[in-house]
Amino acid sequence: MRAYRGELRKLVSLPSVWAAVAVGVLVPATLTFLNAKSAVAAGRGGNADIGFQELAFGVVGAVILGVVAVSSEYTTEGESAGGGRQIITSLTAVPSRRRLLIAKLTAVITAIATLAAVSSAITLMTVEALLDEGAGVSGLGRLPGVVLYWVLTALLASGLTLLTRNGILPLTVLILNTSVVTVTYLLAKLTPLAVFFPDLAGIRMFVKRVDLPVQLAPVTGGLVMTAWVAALLAAGFLVFRGRDA
Amino acid sequence: MLKFDQLTKRRGAATILSDVSFEARPGRVTGFLGPNGAGKSSTLRILLGLDRPTSGTALLDGVPFAELRDPLRRVGAVLDGSGAHRARTGRAHLKWIAAAGGIPRGRVDEVLAEVGLSEAAGKRVGGYSLGMGRRLALAAALLGDPEVLVLDEPVNGLDPEGIRWIRGFLRERAGDGRTVLLSSHLMGELSETVDDVVVINGGRIVAQGTLAEVVGEHRNLENAFFALTAGAVR
Repeated sequence: MRAYRGELRKLVSLPSVWAAVAVGVLVPATLTFLNAKSAVAAGRGGNADIGFQELAFGVVGAVILGVVAVSSEYTTEGESAGGGRQIITSLTAVPSRRRLLIAKLTAVITAIATLAAVSSAITLMTVEALLDEGAGVSGLGRLPGVVLYWVLTALLASGLTLLTRNGILPLTVLILNTSVVTVTYLLAKLTPLAVFFPDLAGIRMFVKRVDLPVQLAPVTGGLVMTAWVAALLAAGFLVFRGRDA
Repeated sequence: MLKFDQLTKRRGAATILSDVSFEARPGRVTGFLGPNGAGKSSTLRILLGLDRPTSGTALLDGVPFAELRDPLRRVGAVLDGSGAHRARTGRAHLKWIAAAGGIPRGRVDEVLAEVGLSEAAGKRVGGYSLGMGRRLALAAALLGDPEVLVLDEPVNGLDPEGIRWIRGFLRERAGDGRTVLLSSHLMGELSETVDDVVVINGGRIVAQGTLAEVVGEHRNLENAFFALTAGAVR
């Protein structure tokens, strides 16, 4: 419990975590606002996924938070400042690596679940305010899917960063894939197996219409994504436990 | 009491430590002396469970650090730099440590005052000088008012006033019956502070005993040190 409180305090006192929160709230709300406005202007109604598609982009906030929660432990202070790293302090306060990692991941889950819930509420209220036929409040049943998707994505990001001990690679790969070029989506054009990538499987939990060769059921999609996350975290833990800090 | 028993550490083909054995006793300041790269930091990192030895043990009263129930109240450690993330304020850094160690929040301002960082507590660690970072690391080590202090090169980066202050501070701690183990490659800094001396070179202990025993017939600790480490690797 103490270790968990320590990890929560670490998160709230790190500026990059607040940047992640801002991204997670503003990106989906802004995109939804713009998309809904243009739908109204074109005389179209909303579609069943408006708001939810944008929340799938907003997961970038979860990616950033999941990465920096781990990478901040390994940021070196620089030669002139003595070359220290926070992980040393963390392990002298909580020497059990298993306990430290469980506390950290639980804190990440807490933060992301809260962020996803708040961001979804704002985005869906935007849909509700601007469109008559959007999913809006009637889509509330899909909210747990959004929260779970964000939480699992953040954990995936943390797991990757445990392996790299540096935030740059996981941030680049995960953010580009979410926003600029969805490599996993392009792969789906080549092989139907690509629908089993964690991101494509995961969005099935709350996005109804996707242009994919195989349509996974929401629960199946969630399970596929969970399996990826479990495997990555297991690998991350083994490396974290075995390596000299 | 800290007890290092036949510690050996290999990394690939390199032997970092071989058969390192010594003790640091309560009520005394033990100086762990050696040139850069001799294995001082590796030994201390193994004690704190940060690195794993290939064989041997490092124990606090017979228990490995990783199994201590209240580590912050037992051992305060100062290793590289400040040990803090640059984007956090000094106070926020100490607050998370206190939360993780189950230490009352009120201690944070106490230790900040103790190390002379009260005024800089609200500034980001990235803006600290090397000396301020070292003081922050020491503040973190003191949070739990521990019975053992382990310090790796504590005078590095401190100004002369800071060095004088930390000497007095460590002597005072040992005077209270606590165990103080500090490493250094600066002989002059040590001779006025330590009771016992352990000299390491090339991963092996080359001398240990009270200050008088280790200095022996040499004029001072510095001469003894160079005589002991002459002709060794590097």
